[in-house]
Amino acid sequence: MGVFVFLPLVLPLTAWPIARVAEQYLHPRRSTRLLSLIGGVLAVSSTLCLALLVVVGTAQLPGNPLPDGWSDPEVREAVPCDEVAGKAAIGALVPVAVSCTGTVWRHHRARRRAQDAIAGLPDALVTTLPDDKAYAYALPAASGKPGRIVVSTAMLACLSGSEQRAMIAHEQAHLAGRHHRYLLAAQLAARANPLLRPLQRAVAYCAERWADEEAAREVGDRTVTARAVGKAALVSRGTPAATLAGFAAPGPVPRRVAALLGPVPPAQYWPPAWTAPGLAAWIAAAGTAASAVSSANAAVALFLILQAATPL
Amino acid sequence: MRDQDKGDLRPRSRRRGQGELEAQVLAVLRRACGPVTAAWVQERLEGPLAYTTVMTILARLQAKGAVTRQRAGRSFVWRAESDEAGLAALRMRRVLDGQDDREAVLASFVTGLTADDERLLRGLLIETARD
Repeated sequence: MGVFVFLPLVLPLTAWPIARVAEQYLHPRRSTRLLSLIGGVLAVSSTLCLALLVVVGTAQLPGNPLPDGWSDPEVREAVPCDEVAGKAAIGALVPVAVSCTGTVWRHHRARRRAQDAIAGLPDALVTTLPDDKAYAYALPAASGKPGRIVVSTAMLACLSGSEQRAMIAHEQAHLAGRHHRYLLAAQLAARANPLLRPLQRAVAYCAERWADEEAAREVGDRTVTARAVGKAALVSRGTPAATLAGFAAPGPVPRRVAALLGPVPPAQYWPPAWTAPGLAAWIAAAGTAASAVSSANAAVALFLILQAATPL
Repeated sequence: MRDQDKGDLRPRSRRRGQGELEAQVLAVLRRACGPVTAAWVQERLEGPLAYTTVMTILARLQAKGAVTRQRAGRSFVWRAESDEAGLAALRMRRVLDGQDDREAVLASFVTGLTADDERLLRGLLIETARD
């Protein structure tokens, strides 16, 4: 397998250009799906290679439970710099496993708690809670309860009737499109390989844009939808953005509003290969394919080597 | 974690009931004409519930500020301070305040703004008003 086992660890870099340009050139529905898919494949390949390195590394540790044959020179030769790489991989895979498990656990706990919080109220798609803090959330279905939309009275108070409809339609689009799955997949990918973090941010943004576009279609007015997003952001600005102020480019909300004030993004558009976005897409596709092939190749190679080294 | 999760044979169904039980107790209290005892609440709840369970739920509601109690003779009498929606709002606020990564979990309508974003956004909104 040689150096190929290391490739999937750095190939997520090839997804950076597409993560940067997808939101400008592709329909948000398409970019959410594309970026999630790319992120998922790259994350699985990277984790698989990490696991292969861990096997080789663990076999060299004294007192390991693996067969003795697995620490033979033939096995060690399969990985360049096997001693350092093996130990480093153990140090990397453990935090990856812990943080991925933690992410899934927190995700389900938050969903369950949120569903529990509104238990006992009449079952309706939209639940209004008397609260002076402005918020609106789409709660995916959990513990047998259907998906619901939770809106505070403070949020409703700052929006006009048609803006309220746009906000509800936005949340409904999140539920109908099961956007939480894309968000969770992207989050897990970023935990599996930190190089995928830009991709996670892009997926989170594109999912919001997707819901914005659905809302604008539903109410039939892009300006009203833009105003709803903008007003809602201004009343709920108590939660500070997790970016470096002054250093940052325009945050997600102004970009969303600006996009809604612009024309409808074409649903079927695919940029030609010779333009910058087309090139970015091809780089990402090539990187993802190379990552999948390299990791599969490395897995098969190591399997055959270990099979040969295992005394029957 | 919460102590009721431990030693419970069916934690899933128990947890699911937690919010509903609180809402039921609050609903019974709101039907009362004045402060009432825990035993009074227990009698009027649907299904058999242990007195200690009712007390636990009342104490939890009190911690959330949804009910208040006062001493009457040797025991306490309880009074509802908010309705079911108000209680749900209190609980939802806890979920939202307690989660670091709630943005990723509950898809929220908007995320936070920096000072620059706010200026930019106000400019955009003024533009929409002019149209």
